[in-house]
Amino acid sequence: MARTLITVPPSPKKGDVIEIRVLIQHHMETGFRVGADGKVVPRDIIRKLACQFNDGTTTEEIVSAEFFPAIAANPYFTFNMIASGNGTLTFTWEGDNGFSQTETAALKVT
Amino acid sequence: MTSGRRRLLLAGAGAGAVSLLRPVAHAQTLLSPPDELAALVKAYTQGAVVLPGKVKLDISPLVDNGNSVPITISVASPMSATDYVKSIAMFNEKNPQRDVIRVLLGPRSGKASVSTRIRLANSQKLIAVAQLSDGTWWSHTVDVLVTLAACIDI
Amino acid sequence: MSAVESTVSGAGRRRFLKGSAAAAGSLVVSFHIPFVRDAEAQGVAAAPEVNAWVVVQPDDTVIIRIARSEMGQGSLTGLAQLCAEELECNWAKVRTEYPTPGQNLARNRVWGNFSTGGSRGIRESNEYVRKGGATARMMLLQAAADEWKVPVAECTVADSVITHAGSQRTTSYGKVAAAASKLTAPTEVKLKDPKDWKLIGKRLARLDTVDKTTGKLVYGMDLKMPGMVNAAIRRCEVFGGKLKSYDEKVALKRKGVKKVLKVGDDAVAVVADTWWRAKTALDAMPIEWDLGPNAKASTASFAEVLKEGLSAKEAVVGNQSGDAAAAIAAAPRKVEAVYTYPHQNHACMEVMNATARWTPERCEVWTPTQNGEAAHAATAEAAGLPPAQCEVYKLHLGGGFGRRGAVHDWVRQAVEIAKQMPGTPVKLIWSREEDMAHGSYHPITHCKMTAGLDNDGNVTAFAMRISGQSILAGVAPQAIQNGKDPVVFQGLNPPGPESSLGYAFPAVMIDHAMRNPHVPPGFWRGVNLNHNAIYMECFIDEIAHETKQDPLALRRKLLANAPKYLAVLNAVADKAGYGTPAPAGVYRGLAVTHGFGSYVAACAEISVSADGALKIHRIVAATDPGYAVNPQQIEAQIEGSFVYGLGAALFQECTVKDGKIEQTNFHNYRPLRMAEMPVVEPIVMPSGGFWGGVGEPTIAVAAPAVLNAIFAATGKRIRNLPVGDQSLKKA
Repeated sequence: MARTLITVPPSPKKGDVIEIRVLIQHHMETGFRVGADGKVVPRDIIRKLACQFNDGTTTEEIVSAEFFPAIAANPYFTFNMIASGNGTLTFTWEGDNGFSQTETAALKVT
Repeated sequence: MTSGRRRLLLAGAGAGAVSLLRPVAHAQTLLSPPDELAALVKAYTQGAVVLPGKVKLDISPLVDNGNSVPITISVASPMSATDYVKSIAMFNEKNPQRDVIRVLLGPRSGKASVSTRIRLANSQKLIAVAQLSDGTWWSHTVDVLVTLAACIDI
Repeated sequence: MSAVESTVSGAGRRRFLKGSAAAAGSLVVSFHIPFVRDAEAQGVAAAPEVNAWVVVQPDDTVIIRIARSEMGQGSLTGLAQLCAEELECNWAKVRTEYPTPGQNLARNRVWGNFSTGGSRGIRESNEYVRKGGATARMMLLQAAADEWKVPVAECTVADSVITHAGSQRTTSYGKVAAAASKLTAPTEVKLKDPKDWKLIGKRLARLDTVDKTTGKLVYGMDLKMPGMVNAAIRRCEVFGGKLKSYDEKVALKRKGVKKVLKVGDDAVAVVADTWWRAKTALDAMPIEWDLGPNAKASTASFAEVLKEGLSAKEAVVGNQSGDAAAAIAAAPRKVEAVYTYPHQNHACMEVMNATARWTPERCEVWTPTQNGEAAHAATAEAAGLPPAQCEVYKLHLGGGFGRRGAVHDWVRQAVEIAKQMPGTPVKLIWSREEDMAHGSYHPITHCKMTAGLDNDGNVTAFAMRISGQSILAGVAPQAIQNGKDPVVFQGLNPPGPESSLGYAFPAVMIDHAMRNPHVPPGFWRGVNLNHNAIYMECFIDEIAHETKQDPLALRRKLLANAPKYLAVLNAVADKAGYGTPAPAGVYRGLAVTHGFGSYVAACAEISVSADGALKIHRIVAATDPGYAVNPQQIEAQIEGSFVYGLGAALFQECTVKDGKIEQTNFHNYRPLRMAEMPVVEPIVMPSGGFWGGVGEPTIAVAAPAVLNAIFAATGKRIRNLPVGDQSLKKA
C-alpha cells in the first residue's frame, strides 16, 4: 500500500467551499526515461484519481482527474467541494500494472 | 529547437527583427497558441472554438530543473447548478507527450480550482483549457522558462 | 541586523524600481559589487538609462549592461565591444554592469538569456547586443537634434561627441542622455557592415583585468556583510546516499560554533563565526550515513558495463550514411581500436560558494554563477518563495568551466541553511575536498572504432560506437527524447553549423549505447567534444599509419570538400613547418575538429626522453570563429584552454571506489604546472559569415595533437586517458 496524505479541513461550516489536498507516494515512471543500462524504463504511472462523497444517503462523484506522465512523482492534487454535510470522502487511485488503492476520510461540518 | 527560434521565444529580440525594445509578451498574458498546440486543442474540443479568457493557469515563470513544478488552474465561475465548469485540461508543447492532466468537475465543487505538480522538459508554452456548462471553451496560454534548458541548446 | 536590512534589501529595492546603474548605493559601504557605479555615493544624480543596455552618466561615462557571466573568458569585454561599436561612444569611458535576474524577470526578459555556456555568450547575443547599442545611439542623436531643432540626419557622432556640422555645434552623450531616455526607441535599426567595424576586431585590453590584478575585485569567497555567519557543509560522499545521524553536541561545544543544521536529506552543515571554525567543527563531528545503493560501485565495475556497451545490439544512431556494417564486413582490411576517457572534475580555482539571506518575505543570494536566471530559479525553489520575491546578485567567477551553469546545488544548500536562520546572511563555502567529492563530472565513455579499407588502403566505411554516460540523462532527463542524447555526438554529426564530422567517408555509422554509472555527470569545458575529438583524431592517425599515409595527407584527402576544416588544418601545418624536418628528437602531431560553431586545429611538437619523460615544446593552434570580436582574448582563450585540456589529458581522472570519488585535492588530482606548459602560437583566422564560439572548441585539439605526436615519437599509441603513469618509453 502506498503512503497517502489526505488533508480535509477539520470542522468547516456547513455550506462552505473547502479545499481538499491529497498526495500519494508513487514514482510516476514516465516511460521516457533511460536507466543505468541505457534501456528505456517502462511506464508505470497512476492514471486516474476520483473522489466520491457519501452523505449517508447517496454517493456522488465530486471530481475525477486523469494523470499523464507529465505529473510529477508522488502525485499531489487539490480541489474544492461544498461541505454540504457530514459524510465520507472516498479517494480511489488507479494506474499501470494493476495499481489500485482506495482511502477514505471523514467530513464533519459545524 | 533551432537557436533562432529560441532567441525569438526567450529573448524577445527575434533573429533579424527589430523588436528588441518591445518586451516579450509577459508570461500570464493572453496569447494564441502555436500551431502544434493549436491542433491538439482543436482535437480535444472536437473542433469547437476556444477563446482566450476566463481560465487562469498559475505557474512560476522561471523554473530551475523542471522535475516538480507547482501549478494551479482556476476558472472564475459561480459553480451553480446552471453555470459551472465541466472540465479543465492542460497541455504542453515540448514534453515527450502533450497531455498533462484532465479534470472533470461539477457544481458540487463549489469552486473551480485545482492544483498539482508537473514535470517540464524544456522551456515551453503550456495551455489550460476549460469547458463551461454552456458548452463554451476557454483557454490560457503561459510561457515558462526552464533555465536548465539554456545550457543544452539543442 | 537592521543595518543589513537597510543596506541589502533597501538597495535591492531601489535598484529594482529605478533600473539604473546607481542603485548599489549603500551596498558599496558594506562590500563592493564589481563594476556597479555608485553615482549617488559620488554625489552625482542617478543617471537614467537610455535603454536597457546603455546608461550614460553626465560625465560621459557609459555603462553597458551585460547579461552573461564573466568567468575569465573575456565575454564581459567582448559584449561591451559589440554594444559600444554601434553606440559610437568613447571606449575609454566604458564601464559594465550586471543586471540581476530579478530585474530581467520583472522587465519581461529585456536582456534575454543569462546563460553563459556552450561557448554561446557572444555568438548567441551579438545581434541584439549590437542593436541595443545602435538604438541607444539613435536616441541620443535624436535628443541632440531635437534640442538643436535640426534634422537628425545632419548629426554625426564619434567617441560620444555629437556634431552638427552645418551650425558648428557639438554636444556629448552625457549632456543629452536624460532627454534621450524619454524618447521612444526606434523600430528600424540598421547595423554596421563588418567592414566598417572600429572596435570589433580590435585587440582591446579587458575591462576586468586591472581590478583582478590589484585584488580589488570581490569574489564570492571574499564577500563580507554585517552580521554574516559562515557555514561549512558535508554531503554524503557516496552519490545517492543519505544522512542518517550526527552528534551535534561535539560541534556545538566548540568556540564560535552557532548551529548545526540538516541540509536536505543528504548533508549536514556547521555554522560558526568563522569558516575555519565551522570546518574544523564539522571535521570533528561524528556523522553516520546511509550509504545507499551505490556503496559498492567502482571505476572497475563501470568499465565492465561500458565494455559490454561497445558490442551491445541496441544503440541510438547519431550519424548514418550508407551501410557501414556491410562495407566493413566485406572489407579486405580493417583498422580497429578501443579508446577510453575517464570521469573528470572541473576543479575551479574558486570552490563552490554562495551567500544567502532568507526572510519569510524575501530571499537574496550572492554567488558566482554562469546563469543568473538558473540561480534565481533555484533560489526561489529552495526558498519556497515566488521568483518575484527573490533575487540573485551575480559575482565574477573564479572559474566556471560548466560547473556553475547547470546544477546550482550549492545555491540550494546555502538557501536551505539561511532558511533555518531567518534574517541572517549565511556564507557557505565548500572545502576543496567537498568540491572534489561533489562535482558535476565529465562523463565516462569507452569508444570502439572500426574502419574498413579496400586493397588500395582507402577507407570504405567508418563505424564508431560510443558506450557511456549521457550528461542529459543525469542533468535533464526530461530532455531526452526517444532515448537519444544529441549532445553525445558533438564533433561527429552530419554536416551542419554547430559540431560536425568533416571527414567524407563512403559509409558511416556512429551510434551511442547509453550506460549511466551513478556518478553525477555535467558539462565540463568542451563537453563531449573533448573525448570525441581524441577518439576521432587519434583514430585517423591509426588509419594513416596502417595505410602508410602521412597523417596530414590523409586528412587533406578526407577533408577535400570541407574547406573550413582544411583552412585551419593547413594554417597550423604551415606555421609549424609540418613536412619540413623538425629539430632533433622533436615530433609532431595534428588534430582538427568542428565544435560550438567554430573550426579548430592544432599541431603539437613534443619530445620523449629515453626514460619516457614527455616534454611538450610548442603547439600551433588555429581557430576560425567566423568573426573575432577581440583577437587578443581569443588567443588567451586558446592558451588557457590548453592549460586546462593538457592537464586533463595528461594527469586527470576521477576514479571511484566504494561508491565515492577517490581524488580529494590537487595532490592526487594534479593540473599542468608552469614548467610543463608549452609555447602556444595561436592563429585567429575568422573567415566571416557565421558566428562560432571560442571558449570550448579550442580545448578539443590539444590532447589529440599531443597524443598523435607521442605516437610519432615513440610508436606507442595511448588509447586510455589520461596518459598518467602509462610508460612512454619507445614501443
